[in-house]
Amino acid sequence: MSAESSAFDLLKVPLIGRLFRWRHARTFLQIPMLVVGIVMIVHGLCGPTLAPKNLATTLSWVHFRGALVLMLLCAGNLFCMACPFMLVRQWARRLFRPRFIWPRKLRNKWLSAALFALILFVYELFDLWSSPWWTAWLIVAYFAAILVIDGFFKHAVFCKFVCPIGQFNFVASTLSPLEVKVRDEGVCVPCITKDCIRGRRDAAGLVVIQRGCELALFQPGKSGNMDCTFCLECVQACPHDNVGILSRPPASELMTDPRRSGIGYFSRRPDIAALALVFTFGALLNAFGMVSPVYALERWLARALHTGHEAPVLGSIFVLSLIVEPVLMLGLAAWLTRVWAGSRRATLPLIVRYAYGLVPLGFGMWLAHYSFHFLTGFLTLIPVTQNAVASLGTPLLGEPLWTLTGIPTRFVQPLELGFLVLGLTGSLLVTYRLTQDEDTPHPARAFIPWAAICLLLWVAAVWLIFQPMEMRATFMG
Amino acid sequence: MIEAEIAPRPARIGLATVTLRLSDAAGQPVRQARIALEADMSHPGMRPEFGEAREVAAGCYQGRLAFTMAGDWVVLMRVTLPGGQKLERQMEVNGVR
Repeated sequence: MSAESSAFDLLKVPLIGRLFRWRHARTFLQIPMLVVGIVMIVHGLCGPTLAPKNLATTLSWVHFRGALVLMLLCAGNLFCMACPFMLVRQWARRLFRPRFIWPRKLRNKWLSAALFALILFVYELFDLWSSPWWTAWLIVAYFAAILVIDGFFKHAVFCKFVCPIGQFNFVASTLSPLEVKVRDEGVCVPCITKDCIRGRRDAAGLVVIQRGCELALFQPGKSGNMDCTFCLECVQACPHDNVGILSRPPASELMTDPRRSGIGYFSRRPDIAALALVFTFGALLNAFGMVSPVYALERWLARALHTGHEAPVLGSIFVLSLIVEPVLMLGLAAWLTRVWAGSRRATLPLIVRYAYGLVPLGFGMWLAHYSFHFLTGFLTLIPVTQNAVASLGTPLLGEPLWTLTGIPTRFVQPLELGFLVLGLTGSLLVTYRLTQDEDTPHPARAFIPWAAICLLLWVAAVWLIFQPMEMRATFMG
Repeated sequence: MIEAEIAPRPARIGLATVTLRLSDAAGQPVRQARIALEADMSHPGMRPEFGEAREVAAGCYQGRLAFTMAGDWVVLMRVTLPGGQKLERQMEVNGVR
């Protein structure tokens, strides 16, 4: 029996739906992103060295990040869909066919979680926000990495196992209101061709005429947005037109633990839990790097470590924030869940299970931080672009209007607080649902230690957004 | 030659005074130059501050700029000499508190 979902389906919206159903929709979105990417590289390497006047830094650190988190909040992982790196990779694969299979030991999120943390570290160490040159090289390095990895290895290895931006998007999109999903599960039951994952070949079986999901997500078994790049190959591939972009309650996928196609059970994936923790604690750490108290801590650590170099000091802060702090906090909560609430799970499985409850809070912090830069500075793109055009010889767009910025801070700060409240609410809800699903004699007691962590992190996040911002690129200066 | 300094040191949030001394190759002060000042933060997305330096003594120019928030700033000085020649100098002002 068939029962089509009654959820909102973006693909059925006039115009937008038609655009997304179009076979070349992804390329259509990728081409402008690629052009912008090339402009950013050229301007980053050849344009003004001052970050606020350069398109590479302005677009990367003000507009891209802000638009990314807002898009994830309001829709879904549309930035992966429009990823320009993938377009270049597609072109390259016409010339070079990958031959190798990604090593089994690397088919997890450990590498990408480490790379995600490394990107955050490099961002602070080299003050990427203040360097157009380094920002441009970061984009170039991204293009190079994807060409090398996906040039050698089959399928979408870079997206699934390597790309730090993609991992950020995957984790954040667990909170998105839209999901690429089967419309009617009943339609999939008799399906024997499974085009959504296998793709389609021509009559001779030699040429792929339609790809299936390169990230190994089989639509009928897919649950949630984890690992979904919104490439919409499955939409194109399904011969029954049974895949849509459907609405769902944000964070719902964090509350349950079904077996997910291409992923397995969240509760058995410590690597994804580690990624979720880097995402959450990294959000606080990234914001901490921009406020005054970090410099006092750096000076204190430098004295304690007897060093004048930034790398060991910053490295210590990262180890404390991304490893020691989560291990201590979650370890203590897991221990209390076992001892006080009577959970029969071991400590590590408990940590893995409840780590996902912190994701909404982490996303709230990323939203608060990145939307601040975006909303207070989105108009700066106008004078920076005017200046870039004028530097070509003729001020075609007029003289740069440097006084244009964005919404005043006093209006953005309440919004930041709102994002944090939303994050806390989401985390408490997810955590509560997880305790209800637990086979625990005292679910309420299990809830308290994890809720306490959520509250503690939330207080830290609120404290952070009310700290005086101090955008510095100098260490201990 | 352009010599530039800023006061107070260390720089603080609020108004700062930029002093420039302009001299030619013979060491003589350069008079009647026009000097535009601009202060930018090291992070993109922030509004720059603008000012102008006026001649207060022979070859000595002073202007004021507002550092509106803590952090690293870069002060740009755009000098237009009496003959129309244009020069630009940049001064980093780190650790404004």
